[in-house]
Amino acid sequence: MKQLARRPAVYFLLIVFASPLVAFSSGTPSDALLPVMQRELKRATAALSKADPAPYFMSYSAADADVSVIVGENGGIILDNQVHRRQGDVIMRVGSPALDNTHNQSRPSGITSGALPLEDDPDAVSRVLWQLTDREYEKASAAFLKVKTNTAVQSAEDDKSPDFSQETAQTHLDETPWKSSFDQKQWEDRVRKVSEAFLKYPQVYDSAVFLTVENSRSYLATSEGTALVRPAAVSRLVIQGETRADDGMELLRVETFQGASPSELPSEPELLAKVQKIGEDLTALRAAPVAEPYAGPALLSGRAAAVFFHEVLGHRLEGHRQRGETEGQTFTKKINQMVLPAFLSVTDDPTRHELNGVELAGSYDYDDEGVPAERVDAVVNGVLKSFLMSRMPVNGFSHSNGHGRRQPGLMAVGRQGNLIVTSTNTVKDSELRQKFIEEIKKQGKPYGLYFADIQGGFTLTTRALPQAFQVIPVMVYRVYADGRPDELVRGVDIVGTPLLSLNNIMLTGDTLQVFNGICGAESGQVPVSAAAPAMLFSEIEVQKKARGTDRPPVMPPPEISSAAVARGAKQ
Amino acid sequence: MTAWKMQSLPWIAGGMLLLACCVFAVPLRAQETKPAAVAPDNPALNAAASASAVATSVITTPPEVWAAAGKAASTDPVLQAMYEELDRSKSRLKMENVPAPYYIEYRLTDFDEYVAEAAFGALEIHQRARARSIRVVVRVGDYKFDSYYGPGMGVVDLGPLDDNSIALRRQLWMATDRAYKSANEALAAKKALLSQFTSGQPFNDFAPATPLQQIDPLVKLDVNPEPWDAMLEKSSSVFRSDPQIESLTSTLRFRAVNTYFVNSEGTVTRNGYAIYSLILSGATQAADGMRLERSPYFTAGTLAELPSAEEFQADAVAMVDTLKKLRAAPMVEEEYSGPVLFSADAACDVFSGMIGGNVLGTRPKPGDSARTNGEFASSYKSRVLPVFLSMVDDPTLRTFQGKTLVGSYGVDEEGVRASKVAVIQDGILENYLMGREPIRDFPASNGHGRAAPGRQPFPSIGNLIVESKVTSTPEELKKKLIDMCRGEGKPFCYRVETLADFNPRLLYRVYVSDGHEELVRGADFNDLDTRSLRNDLIAVGNDPLVSNRQGFVPVTVIAPSILFDEIEVKRTPTKNAKLPEYPPPDLTK
Repeated sequence: MKQLARRPAVYFLLIVFASPLVAFSSGTPSDALLPVMQRELKRATAALSKADPAPYFMSYSAADADVSVIVGENGGIILDNQVHRRQGDVIMRVGSPALDNTHNQSRPSGITSGALPLEDDPDAVSRVLWQLTDREYEKASAAFLKVKTNTAVQSAEDDKSPDFSQETAQTHLDETPWKSSFDQKQWEDRVRKVSEAFLKYPQVYDSAVFLTVENSRSYLATSEGTALVRPAAVSRLVIQGETRADDGMELLRVETFQGASPSELPSEPELLAKVQKIGEDLTALRAAPVAEPYAGPALLSGRAAAVFFHEVLGHRLEGHRQRGETEGQTFTKKINQMVLPAFLSVTDDPTRHELNGVELAGSYDYDDEGVPAERVDAVVNGVLKSFLMSRMPVNGFSHSNGHGRRQPGLMAVGRQGNLIVTSTNTVKDSELRQKFIEEIKKQGKPYGLYFADIQGGFTLTTRALPQAFQVIPVMVYRVYADGRPDELVRGVDIVGTPLLSLNNIMLTGDTLQVFNGICGAESGQVPVSAAAPAMLFSEIEVQKKARGTDRPPVMPPPEISSAAVARGAKQ
Repeated sequence: MTAWKMQSLPWIAGGMLLLACCVFAVPLRAQETKPAAVAPDNPALNAAASASAVATSVITTPPEVWAAAGKAASTDPVLQAMYEELDRSKSRLKMENVPAPYYIEYRLTDFDEYVAEAAFGALEIHQRARARSIRVVVRVGDYKFDSYYGPGMGVVDLGPLDDNSIALRRQLWMATDRAYKSANEALAAKKALLSQFTSGQPFNDFAPATPLQQIDPLVKLDVNPEPWDAMLEKSSSVFRSDPQIESLTSTLRFRAVNTYFVNSEGTVTRNGYAIYSLILSGATQAADGMRLERSPYFTAGTLAELPSAEEFQADAVAMVDTLKKLRAAPMVEEEYSGPVLFSADAACDVFSGMIGGNVLGTRPKPGDSARTNGEFASSYKSRVLPVFLSMVDDPTLRTFQGKTLVGSYGVDEEGVRASKVAVIQDGILENYLMGREPIRDFPASNGHGRAAPGRQPFPSIGNLIVESKVTSTPEELKKKLIDMCRGEGKPFCYRVETLADFNPRLLYRVYVSDGHEELVRGADFNDLDTRSLRNDLIAVGNDPLVSNRQGFVPVTVIAPSILFDEIEVKRTPTKNAKLPEYPPPDLTK
């Protein structure tokens, strides 16, 4: 029942894309928008400085984006839309940096959003900004009064940091024109063809190919004098296949590709090969035995380790999690303490664009609060050194380190960019397997588990998860001590405290593997990367995953008559 | 703590959800839940019901009917794919130990929409969206007692846009499988629920319907956006004439919807509609902070019937002018109780909401023995309007006074032919508008089972028309209004031009002395309800207005101006509305 709701829910998100009917001015930078924003911001700042309570900070931002989406299933296009949109956000802080309207749970009072004119009509743009500002002031000033009252009547908070850090104003106007090399027709055909390739696997019940191509430019003007114009371009292709084992267990494989433009995505033969891989993986998974409860040595591939670190460690490094009263605050008081084995270090480095030839999705030069991106050495030789900071200070960290990220419409918080795990205790990747088998033997276990692929905690099939940071192992093999061939198992669920298991890492491989994806959190969806070497764990504890209860489809898939094939192909 | 996740979803990157409201209402949820729809009150039927649920009912469509359906479907590749897959499902869909379906339907809705919006003279939204939703309903049980409840009410997915038979049949196959499994879960849940109530139901769960094959021409959205965009920009530029206008938007929403329907009874239909709307929306504030709004709209069944660019511009100018007048208008007095004249436009709102919303045959909650929901649930065969008034709902009427009625249709979304229904005759409620879900005394559909794309069908009005034995000219009505006021010794009475949520937007004092009118602001109607319609409506005009509306389905209301002998007018409760903190930006050009 629950799983029935999922695909349509996803499509509801998809369906919001729609096509502009004429080509707007994509390709030419909009040099007029920023000055209009700045002029109106100056006027608003001056006018509202006389209000009581008065704002001490304001920013206007605009996100101008051209987005194309093509979705195919079973050889048919089910969604094919383009949209040009321009969203404006007015952010306002009323009170003082020490205590303002965004304090604690009242953070959403800091922002009001609305559509901006698609072209740079100064009168219309400034009028809309004025309207949004007036609405935001009403919201922010009311929230500030409430915050003041609450602070007065409630017990003192542990973390007495101010609500907003002081940072230097930045100016950076990159008005590089948008690259638009998107051949719509060609990609429609490709999505059709790639999605059609799944028809060869009758047991892959559901599958889809998603393509998004986005060209955007963001504008930021703040009352502190920051002025930024930055272009961005990203194309993503996701291939997904899904099946159900005879016992009802749902099995899913997802592959994601990303590049600055569609031309950087894999070629058609490569994509078709991926479909084949997914089809074969799923077919094998359906037939695979269900994992038994197990505690013992485990080997994670680099990609699997990267996702594991993003979910288990990375999110706990986010600065704002150290002060929220509702947060777990795992690391809040652990600065300068060992949190990982001494041979591991973790940095988050948005300034890095590429790693081992792979473009990193989480790169940026300025964060969404206009602070220059910084490489943050969060864990050095196993010792926790720093958090990923937005402009929300926490005890001991009074400044942003350029990790304040958000999607338009939401307030920024500290987020990951490119999380990179490095190791000094390495062996050649080719030797890892041998080390793994030695460890299995040493512990007297019949087998160990090799995690070839871990899905992020949120995929198309996943519902709200009870666990804060969930990892879903998908391709897991038993590696036998006695030299038998590896055996794929399904339904593996990692148990115990994943964080503790990080201290069971014994050694790592010598090459970093990259996982590019989109991370969702309270400040919305942001592109991220995670990179890590393969890792050998002395112990990981797993249990059987709770399985779905629906049986596989009652009827076989429709067999299409050749006449129908011909008709379908003609359309 | 919430779960923050690394994921591979490509499409939510950045604020896309904000657009959701601008796009259409395809509610792409797999299952729609609705309160349980049955109240059994007859032990014999209960027994029959449980017997039927364990028995294996098999779909036995007469071969000649099924062949005719196949012939009709072969004219269209989409229908053909739907028919082929349904043919397979109806004979082969059966799991061990649970009943096979007795009824299956596939509905595919092809939705093409062009939405644009300009604010302050510049376009903000400008998009064309097309999607196909498929909705599969599988019923187990039988017509008397079945699984159409909770999760058994249908499964929704997207369909391929390009008539690809293979892809469409795959989507239908998966949706059918889910719908069948859910139907069996739903049947069990429904039985458990109904076991709490002792009473049975003297009507079926599902009304039989005559198989129908009707293939209508496809409807296309054929529009050149440029002149329309220009018109929106120009009309929303009128804010320049009045610095106190706080918001001004011009919106258009054009859509073409084609519905393909196939069921296991042998019904195969294809039909479509187009609907075109223009909406002006403006707001200002009076000196005391009171928010004043206007949102005139124009909805038509053909592009040619929309206002021309010049007319629309004049409407925008007129709207800004009335906003200006509203700002300067006096507040309504504290209390008034007396005659009020409603324009035809205001009357259409009243009949649409107070009659149209209450004459639908829908199942009440389980255990509730009422006939239907709404204010007329127990008004069958009772007087609900003055005896000189009747109302019909006639979807088969295509035009009225030369205007295309958007509420017209030939076949409803349950594949049942539309029919004219005498809803209220000489003031007496004679009929409810019915889909295929029976209620007491109404065992069959009268072709009013309507549905938004992807949604479950629900009874709705089509073209709701007020008919009167006695009418007056508008002049006579106004004279009558003034005469009544004079009789009551009042210096003035009220005439309402437009409503919003049954409260006046444009309300005028009509002075007894010389009949002149004065715009007022800040008024609410205290007691305008179905009782006012029954007891206080004393006269109607001979000026019926066609009011086309874009609801979850297009509907039309046709009503003349109406005169009430007594309605209470009171002052709007004023929230502490604040004037803008600082003035709007100066214009640069």
